[in-house]
Amino acid sequence: MNNGRLLAIVIAAATVALIVVGTVWPVPSAKAMAGSGASLLRSSSSPQAAVENLAAEIGRQAWGNAYSSLANKSEFTEIEFVRDLTGSYPSLRTYATLDSFDLRPLHASADEAQIQLKLRWSTVVGAFLDTRELRVVRTGDRWGVVWPIVKEPRVPPQVIPVTYLRWDVIYRGAEDDWGSQDVEAPHVRIVDMHPVDRGGGVVIMGELLNEDVVPAFVTVKATLLAKNGSALSTEDSFDKISHILLPKQVTPFLIAFHDVALSEVDSVHMEPSSTLIAASADPVIEIEDQRLSPAPKATLNGKLVNQSGQAVSVAHVLGTFYDKNGQLIWVADQYVDRALLPQTPVAFAMSVPADIAVKVSSERAITTTYSSGRFQ
Amino acid sequence: MKPPLFIVCSLFAAMFAMGSDPPAVRVEPADSVGPRRLEKQTETAVIRDYLQAWGSFSGAFAQNRVDLLDRDFTGTAKEKLADTIREQAKLGIHTRYRDTAHDLQLVFYSPEGLSIQLVDTVEYDVQIIDGQKIQTTQHVRARYVAVLTPTEVRWKVRIFQAESE
Amino acid sequence: MKSRFTFLLSGLVLAAMPPTLAQTSGLRLPKTVEAGSAFSIQSSGTGKAVLYIVGPGQALRRDVRLGETTFFAPGDLHNAGRYVVALVGDASTEDGAFDVIAASPPVALSFLAKPSRLAVNLHEGISGVVYVFDTFQNLVLTPAQVSFQLSGIAGAVQTRTALTRIGVAWTKMNSAAKEGASQFVARVGDAASTRVIQQVPGDACHLRMSARPSGERLAVETEPVRDCSGNALPDGTIVTFTETYKGSESTVDVPLKRGVARTDMPAYSGAKISVATGVLIGNEIRWDK
Repeated sequence: MNNGRLLAIVIAAATVALIVVGTVWPVPSAKAMAGSGASLLRSSSSPQAAVENLAAEIGRQAWGNAYSSLANKSEFTEIEFVRDLTGSYPSLRTYATLDSFDLRPLHASADEAQIQLKLRWSTVVGAFLDTRELRVVRTGDRWGVVWPIVKEPRVPPQVIPVTYLRWDVIYRGAEDDWGSQDVEAPHVRIVDMHPVDRGGGVVIMGELLNEDVVPAFVTVKATLLAKNGSALSTEDSFDKISHILLPKQVTPFLIAFHDVALSEVDSVHMEPSSTLIAASADPVIEIEDQRLSPAPKATLNGKLVNQSGQAVSVAHVLGTFYDKNGQLIWVADQYVDRALLPQTPVAFAMSVPADIAVKVSSERAITTTYSSGRFQ
Repeated sequence: MKPPLFIVCSLFAAMFAMGSDPPAVRVEPADSVGPRRLEKQTETAVIRDYLQAWGSFSGAFAQNRVDLLDRDFTGTAKEKLADTIREQAKLGIHTRYRDTAHDLQLVFYSPEGLSIQLVDTVEYDVQIIDGQKIQTTQHVRARYVAVLTPTEVRWKVRIFQAESE
Repeated sequence: MKSRFTFLLSGLVLAAMPPTLAQTSGLRLPKTVEAGSAFSIQSSGTGKAVLYIVGPGQALRRDVRLGETTFFAPGDLHNAGRYVVALVGDASTEDGAFDVIAASPPVALSFLAKPSRLAVNLHEGISGVVYVFDTFQNLVLTPAQVSFQLSGIAGAVQTRTALTRIGVAWTKMNSAAKEGASQFVARVGDAASTRVIQQVPGDACHLRMSARPSGERLAVETEPVRDCSGNALPDGTIVTFTETYKGSESTVDVPLKRGVARTDMPAYSGAKISVATGVLIGNEIRWDK
């Protein structure tokens, strides 16, 4: 029997064995989140077990069970508990699923313990972390979690007139004569472009301006060209850009190339593209109190305030960072997991690499928003 | 059919089918084309695409295949040629067009660059075949007016019409 | 070498042909037919024959009796072009050709107008091109008068006329001095086509803002934002207000509404507020109250 065949047999056997082990002896969180059986693997006879059980129930979206297990459930209703985790209004939280969780015991005594619970939620735009410092108390022979409820503010009923401009586009129809051409695409221009070596690859950062008087849906594609003129790689900005640009609005963009060294690149061919799109000038989002906290855990912190009347389901914040010469040195982004209610600040914290943060002299943030039923 | 006539028809059919010499092409200098300035590259592309359109047109009419027009024709020209092919098919006839000479002159390039007009004094042979029988072969010299419009990859013929001499 | 052989062969073949194939005296054809109109073809002789009228525009076939006139009704032949005719009888074939010409005057047009938006005050910045057609979508090659008219919200109406040459006419117009949408109309006979041309201001020329207390916050507002010719920038143009205070920054992108941008910002004493739109930076205010 040759070596290749032997290796294939060993791998197949190991795979089968691991599947059997995982099925017969699953880890508690996996079993709980798989929804197998009504009972948990162990009772809440310790602080860790209580927190694990709670997290498992949250992962299975068994809200009734999770709420019942809380030690302080008399302080809030089940609906408030659910809204704390999933949001009152459609947001990223509403459509997120619990991917995994981690516990870190902080302090323990005979009747009380402090445990940090990190819930890792998975969404279509990536994962976000929800960290709670939990107090766990003993009642008789059982431990219960004191849930630190975060009550979402309620916006009182009112009328908020919205008089911002809206653009609609009339396109040519199939029956239109050949001479009836569609309105031209918006004119956009790259006003800054900067390639750097980073993370084993090349990163191209820049800024794109809509210099037209109509809204534009924009993307940027870049092709790295070698010294002999051949194309090394082509990538686009994907979601590291604000795709909707209103007139005279500027967006940063970041395009990442993996496994290409800057030394191999002779030139870069940039292809910004723009399409005419129906759009609205609202919602207007204020970004308050932007502050870059220093390394090692550098973050751009701030608060988003929705100055319009409609709740924003998903807000995407893009940060542009400049050095003391005004040169663009980094672009970062973050999705906010809670809905932006009118006039209600929501905090964000965007990570910045430590080596970049020490060079930052100024920064600028913009937002792209999505409201249920509308993309802006 | 008498034997000599049969031989003659067969010879003519063979000449058509042989894929004989490409047509002789003469292009008038395009210095005075306006109002938009015509780049050499554009001129070359237009002439190339127009001559290829003649090839598509010949093939489509010889085989009564409308799809062969898709690459090189658009708009009214494509609709009219397609209608003619359908008429031919309904009548059970097909026609062979073999262009032998083109004398091209670009006469108009619109200011926004969306259309080019040319005049082509073309000589071609046309054969009418009913069923399997060649009914006639004629040599024609005509002045065609063509308007081409740009698409993503080539210039396509939008107007294709012979002028009365 | 190949073409010489073909030529020699053709010559031999022609010489061997029975003389009747070359004759056209038995077939009487019109020289030209106006598209869509009735016409007739006469033949001589006796017996049955098949008449073919074939061109890129259309293909017709009729069974006819030699010696009689074959009539074609209005609309039978409506696409302009060169048509070859073959009258195929039992003993002989007659050949001919005639032209179908576009009906005159033109009744339809294709109108290309570009660009769909441009800056104000641009000399000959707008172009219009018209191709004229008859009712059967044939290009009308006889000269026809086309009128172009550009009218907008303010300013004089511009009118030009042009004569078609080989079915096409064109013109250039100036963009208006004031921003707004203009109607660009091309007319030939009773047929007309309209395009909308948007005239837009240039980039912002001056950008100034002021600030006043508004409750616990600061209301900042720009003066009407205009280009260097005094045209107001269109509503929806984004103006960015930035406030820096003790190392932190607040920004808000506000669209122009009725020519001005206004918003509320935190009222910190000692804060610096700046304003920008596109690549133009306006004045800066230091709030000390």
